[in-house]
Order: sequence, then C-alpha cells, then structure tokens
Amino acid sequence: MIDKPNDKPEYSPDQCIADQATLASWEEQLNALLEGELDDEQKQQLKVAAAQDPALARAIIEAYELQRALDAIPLQAAPDSLRRKLARIPAEHRKKTRPAWLENTRFRPAWVTALAAVPVLMFALSLRGPAEPAVTEPTAAQISQAQQELAIAFSYLEKVGRKTGQEIGTTVNNEMQQTINDNMMQTIQDQMEFNKERNA
Amino acid sequence: MNKWMKTSLALVFGLVLAVPATAQEDALKGLPGYVDFGELQGVYGEPKVMINLGGSILKFVGGMTKDDPEAAALMDKLKGVRINVYSIDGNPDAALQKVSQIKGMLQTGSWEPIVQVNDDGEQVQIFIKFSGDLMEGLTVMAVDETEAVFINIIGQMDPAQLSQVMENFDIDLEADLDLP
Repeated sequence: MIDKPNDKPEYSPDQCIADQATLASWEEQLNALLEGELDDEQKQQLKVAAAQDPALARAIIEAYELQRALDAIPLQAAPDSLRRKLARIPAEHRKKTRPAWLENTRFRPAWVTALAAVPVLMFALSLRGPAEPAVTEPTAAQISQAQQELAIAFSYLEKVGRKTGQEIGTTVNNEMQQTINDNMMQTIQDQMEFNKERNA
Repeated sequence: MNKWMKTSLALVFGLVLAVPATAQEDALKGLPGYVDFGELQGVYGEPKVMINLGGSILKFVGGMTKDDPEAAALMDKLKGVRINVYSIDGNPDAALQKVSQIKGMLQTGSWEPIVQVNDDGEQVQIFIKFSGDLMEGLTVMAVDETEAVFINIIGQMDPAQLSQVMENFDIDLEADLDLP
C-alpha cells in the first residue's frame, strides 16, 4: 500500500527556478531512460540524483506514467488534412497565444501538466484503429545488450561442453574420449544425424 | 523525499528494467522447446546471471551481423535463449533436486537425453527435443559445488554453425564474470 501525500510540497519562487534548471539539465537523461538507452551506470546516477531531488523524482514518475498511458494506445497517422492544418500554424504564433501564467512554469501546478496530456490522449483515442499489437523496434542499446547477453549464454554453453568433455574423459577410455571430447556440439551433431537417418 | 515518491520512483526504475525481460519470458512459454526451470531464488537468492532473449530481439541481433552470414543464419532460426545461473556456495542439494525434477519432466515430454554426467555432487544433463529432423529445443543443466547453470535454447540450431558463431564472440567468461 502506497501512502500518497495529501498536500504537495510548496516551493519558493527561487527554488522553483532552480528546480526547473535542474530538470532541464536532466531532461536528456530522462528521455534516454524512457527509451531504454541508459546503461546501468547512467541509470544508477539518475536514481541517486532523483533520490536527492524531489522535483526530478516527480518528473520521472510523471513522465513514466504518461509514457505508459500513451504506449497503451494503438495510434494511426492523423489525416493528411489535419496534418496540413497543423503545419500551417507557425510555432511563434502558438507560443504568443498561450496564456502568460502558463508560460511561467513557477505558477504551473502539477495538475496543469496532467490536464495538458488529456487532449493528446483524447485525440489519440479518437484516431485509434482496430486493436492490433504495436510492433516496437528495439533501440541500438537494447540490441547491443542482447548481443552481450547472447555472448554470455553461448560462453556458458561452451563452458558446460568443456566440462562435459572432461567428465566423460574420466569415465570412459581414451579412445572413446577422443571421439567425443572436442566439445558438446559434436555430440549433438551426431545425435541430429542419427535422428535424420532414423526418420529417413 | 517522501515515502510515496520513494516507492513510486523505485517502481519506475524497477519496471523500466524488469518489464522487457518478463515480457520476453512470457512470449517464449508457449513454444515447444521451452522448459520451465522453476524457482531457486528461495534457496540461493537472485541468479547471478539471468538472460531471457526472445525471437524478435534475436532477429534484430542477426540483422546487425549481416557481415557474418553464419551468425545471421543462426539467429534467424533461434526463437529464444534463456539462461539462469545461481551461485550455490557448496550447497548443491536444492539445485540437484531441481535438476532431477526437470529431468523427469523432460523425459515424459519427448525430450531425448544426449549427455548425462552423474558424479559426486556434480551433474550435467543435456536434452534435445526434435520435431522430425529439426531441433526444437536444447536444454542444458549443470551443477557443481560452485554454481548451477540452466540453459534453454529454443528453435532450430545447427551445432556446427553454433560452434563457429561462438568463436566470433569475444568474451572471456572466467574474467568477465569472475568465475573459477
């Protein structure tokens, strides 16, 4: 059971400015964490930093919750007409039309951030197509990690094979050992060939 | 930092790390070459090595090794690679019991024993599951005084091909994992 606080901590304006600066500096790391691109050392650094910085910790939790919500929604591309309309809106105009209080992050409570995600979610829901599992492509870091894990798995396989050869060598005569001692793979190869002949 | 935030943060980091591995393990469970190794954490603690690679990530790894046709061909046929290694510190009884239990399960599940070594406190069991001429799975269980190794390779594997690919992986297991 998680104890959720009733009141959010209040920050002074100076502290908020400092927090925003800190968050900006960690933004790249946070994105990389959610993309699965951080190695163990970088994750540990971020975790330690978050343990000392409540704003960073809250940002990580909120970003992760939002990502999970978005990941759960199968998306389709927006219609061309809508994309054309969106492309015509200059970025500068969008910025100027935002309320001043929304621009000032010091006066933006956490629930504004949460509410800001609602139209995105509603828009995404309105575009959802048939429920098909999303195919996600692993990142380069994940593939690299998988390569290392595969290398470790193969090495253990080889290690057991060597051990098997040694053990067999102690229990059968040298002539037999010569036949099967090279590695376990040869034994398996023989078994496969035997299997083929048997099934032929 | 309050208790709620600490707990949430721990969950976030835990989920970011754990979800992919769990999902890959679940995806492999329905395959004919899959073997359930059960749990040994209660006796030996967390495995010192725990790897669960599914077919999709293996295909991507294969795609990265296009300059090595042997490796690419091997990866293309593999559906999963799983390995659990526990440090057992001179207490192999629970691991040997688990090996015996899994061995019984494999024998009733049309797996063929390939290599069996039974020594005092040391055991190696290797089983293969065939479907016609094709290999559907390889299971290796090895227990000695220091560690218990459980390996399950799912999918088609040409052992000769595997030997060649293994030579290309530049890893020194003893040095990298501080093994005896």
